[in-house]
Amino acid sequence: MSHHQEPSGAPEVGIELDLNGSPRTMIVDPVQSLASAVRAEGLTGTKLGCETGDCGACAVLVDGVPMASCLLPAVRAGGRRVTTVEGLGTATELSPLQAAFMRHNASQCGYCIPGILVAASPLVDRDELTRDDVVSELTGNLCRCTGYESIVDAVLDAHQQVRSGRTGGAA
Amino acid sequence: MTTTQDTIHETAAQGWVGRGIPQVDIEAKLRGQTEYIGDLRLPNMAHAAIVRSTVAHGRIRGIDTSRAERVPGVLAVATAADAPEVKFGPYTPDWEILARHKVRFIGDEVAAVAAIDEPTARYAASLVEVDVEELPAVFDPFAALAEGGPVIWDEYADNVSTLFTIERGDTRAAFDAADLVVDDVYATSRMYHAYLEPIGVIAHYVDGVHVLHVPSHIPYRARQTYSAALGLPLDKVRLVVPPIGGSFGAKYEMNTPLIAALLSRKAGVPVRILFGRDEDAAYHRPRPPFVFRNRIAVRADGTFLGRETDVVGIAGARTYWSPATVATAVHRPDSLYNFNAMTGRGRLVYTNESPTTAMRGFGNAEALFGIEQMIDEIAERLDIDPVEMRRRNIVQEGETSLHGWYISSSQLPACIERVSEMSGFADRRRARPPATAGERVGKLRGTGIALGHHVSGYRPILPDYDGSSAILRLGPDGSIQLYVGEPDVGQGHVTVMAQLAADELGVAPAEVKVQGIDSAFSPAAVGTLASRAATMAGMATVAAGADARRKLIAFATEQWGVPEAAVSWQAGTLTDTTGANEPFTLRQALHRYGVVNCGLPLLATGVHHPKTVMPDATKYGNASAAYPFAAHVAEVEVDCDTGQISVVGYWAAHDSGTVLNPQTARGQVLGGIAQGLGWALMEDVIMSEGVVRNPNFLDYRIPGAGDMPAGVEVEFVDAYEPNGPRGAKSLGEVALNPVVAAIANAIYNATGLRCKDLPISPERMWRYLHLGEPVESSSAGAIR
Ligand code: FES
Ligand code: FES
Repeated sequence: MSHHQEPSGAPEVGIELDLNGSPRTMIVDPVQSLASAVRAEGLTGTKLGCETGDCGACAVLVDGVPMASCLLPAVRAGGRRVTTVEGLGTATELSPLQAAFMRHNASQCGYCIPGILVAASPLVDRDELTRDDVVSELTGNLCRCTGYESIVDAVLDAHQQVRSGRTGGAA
Repeated sequence: MTTTQDTIHETAAQGWVGRGIPQVDIEAKLRGQTEYIGDLRLPNMAHAAIVRSTVAHGRIRGIDTSRAERVPGVLAVATAADAPEVKFGPYTPDWEILARHKVRFIGDEVAAVAAIDEPTARYAASLVEVDVEELPAVFDPFAALAEGGPVIWDEYADNVSTLFTIERGDTRAAFDAADLVVDDVYATSRMYHAYLEPIGVIAHYVDGVHVLHVPSHIPYRARQTYSAALGLPLDKVRLVVPPIGGSFGAKYEMNTPLIAALLSRKAGVPVRILFGRDEDAAYHRPRPPFVFRNRIAVRADGTFLGRETDVVGIAGARTYWSPATVATAVHRPDSLYNFNAMTGRGRLVYTNESPTTAMRGFGNAEALFGIEQMIDEIAERLDIDPVEMRRRNIVQEGETSLHGWYISSSQLPACIERVSEMSGFADRRRARPPATAGERVGKLRGTGIALGHHVSGYRPILPDYDGSSAILRLGPDGSIQLYVGEPDVGQGHVTVMAQLAADELGVAPAEVKVQGIDSAFSPAAVGTLASRAATMAGMATVAAGADARRKLIAFATEQWGVPEAAVSWQAGTLTDTTGANEPFTLRQALHRYGVVNCGLPLLATGVHHPKTVMPDATKYGNASAAYPFAAHVAEVEVDCDTGQISVVGYWAAHDSGTVLNPQTARGQVLGGIAQGLGWALMEDVIMSEGVVRNPNFLDYRIPGAGDMPAGVEVEFVDAYEPNGPRGAKSLGEVALNPVVAAIANAIYNATGLRCKDLPISPERMWRYLHLGEPVESSSAGAIR
């Protein structure tokens, strides 16, 4: 019924890309989505909530722009820079946005959160950011648990932290 | 880097309960490291596809699986012939793992294929031929109740799956004495739980045991159901619960895990079933739609004298959790308001549709949608302030309500007071009386109030016992593991359990590792439902902590050879008050305990028996440990040109006793408001001829960030519940219960129109505003 992450059985192709800061070669099925391909690489932080582009759980950054990776064929990511939720922080530190999500407890079941973090990550670097901006930029991300308040607060807080140069999310 | 997470590693002098700390397991979620069912892979795992009925009702003449079996890569095909010939179910034995003699709804599971990958499984599934002799089908509950229509189960020739009746006091006398009787019909819609994580399971039959990895929030009941269905003793079914990506009542699956189990046994490898959103949204088990007729008898001074209620709910083709939701819809409001006498009937009706099940609010939110609007109507007709009207009729702390429910704590009056003040309710209402016919132009604003309550656990869920138990395992290495049986569905129970245990042991919450649930080692808990987890598992956790302390003190007494009274325990340190021995830190004591006992961890246990009773034959008896309350106010803006309704302000005051964690608690309220807003204004599973017409997130819209009002105010009033952990009681469902009614009352205040059907979609609102339709529920004719 759905497409999940399983290949179609068509001849596979190799693509080269920058995945979370490292060069990577991936062998993908021509119809396979980027979501399916990164998940097959073990990057299962990218979630599948709908596979129709309607929920945002699968958001990844392609050359810094959030995209629904469930709709994007993996072959289209060839030669591009792809960042998944696993690439937002480092092994030892959370990104300022992740740290803000922690301070605000901006998660319940957590299933939507990787996609929301990815979709919101470009926002924290903007010069100006209002509550309305955050709300409208997150239109494509659904969360069934939180009612969004903690999420929007966390994005604004992270933006504030980054702007005032106190990165690292000091509480 | 300092984060709030770091602060929870510090030992808090004043204790951890009551402090807003983020979920103890949040970092993995933020890093994308939490392994949900769709992320788990077992070696050699096969993938399955389900063959579903394409007709709503029919007799199965034959199933031909031969073509599917010949597809290369197919490992097993299962039909009812592979399952024991038993019927099972939580209330009524009308479930089968795979349909045997009849199909009863579109989507009914008929066969399943396991193969080396999903495309192969799906392709092979498409080759299974099901020969069905079609029968007339019925989709309308009132048509199903009528004589001579299609019969879905021969055992239930009237199509009534469950009949619930209740009578208390002299209702007839109450109506005879009434100065005013209001009589109205309200109808609620079919709602999709719309958890972001679709349904999934991995089954692995190994060493004669079915190991089921299933994100179930009611694992013990699920295990009972599964073992009965498989015809096996309990210990031959093991349930392992991965992190759950949202449930809201849905994830106690009846047959999907069992289908995977049949396939795994047959194929000899682990088998995964993982729905895509398309399959999940088309074949899910939704919230049952209800039609309510209520009659309320009132004295001129606004005192309620009696209530009559008649409720019809849709079971779908099999009986899931909906019998309990019907019972709830009929009689739970009697513990919010004192109606003094009541007569109620609830009928749960079979139709040829997907079975319906529990969803947050569980019949109570549905009932309040009607009752809270009727109270406003009564107030208006008697010219009594709607706040005063409610205050006058609520059940108070210390009272036993109509059906024997003892209200051990209630700060509902304080909630009403606070929400009125926070929202400026009286001023808003004075400023804007409802619009009259000629005034329904442009944008109209209105404000509405509604109350809500719920339970903290419910005695009848599991006949064997209520309550909960917990195990603390304190290792010689200083590690602390807590085992409870109530899964965290995202609310943050794991976090509040860690806070409670941390305070008992004098450590930080991060040091208490609350273990995932596995029936091989977790207590056999009733589960996370009926808003019971924090209250019940919380009490068990506190008891286990006390047991650990007792055992540590006894150990130190023995080690030191001093009288027990000489050993003191304070904030995680054992001290010999005679001064003869060096104190033990917890870590030192545990190490020492391990040395003396050859590596044995210190095992402590806690059992909590709540003061609940199983209701008697007349449904009388205190069924829940505690009752939470809330008062909500909503402000809406109705665009008369488009019918679009926006919620522009929201205020909530809650009595959940002691607030164990203000941060997670606020999140529950916000989440409840969002779900209520969606239910009130946009969400509706559209069905025709048994087919879901909007099985995706584009056509079944749930609220997004832009649908929520900004600046929601939430307040928890000072309260203490004697029957809950450190004075706490439940929150998850009461957060939703008043929302829909508060919004509907606000819409009336704006437009002068009473909306009696859900959802109050723009189209519906526009028709009410402009086509002059009588604002009567579309179901009114059928139930009167
Ligand atoms: S999974 Fe890609 S948008 Fe939902
Ligand atoms: S936290 Fe559960 S869907 Fe967002």
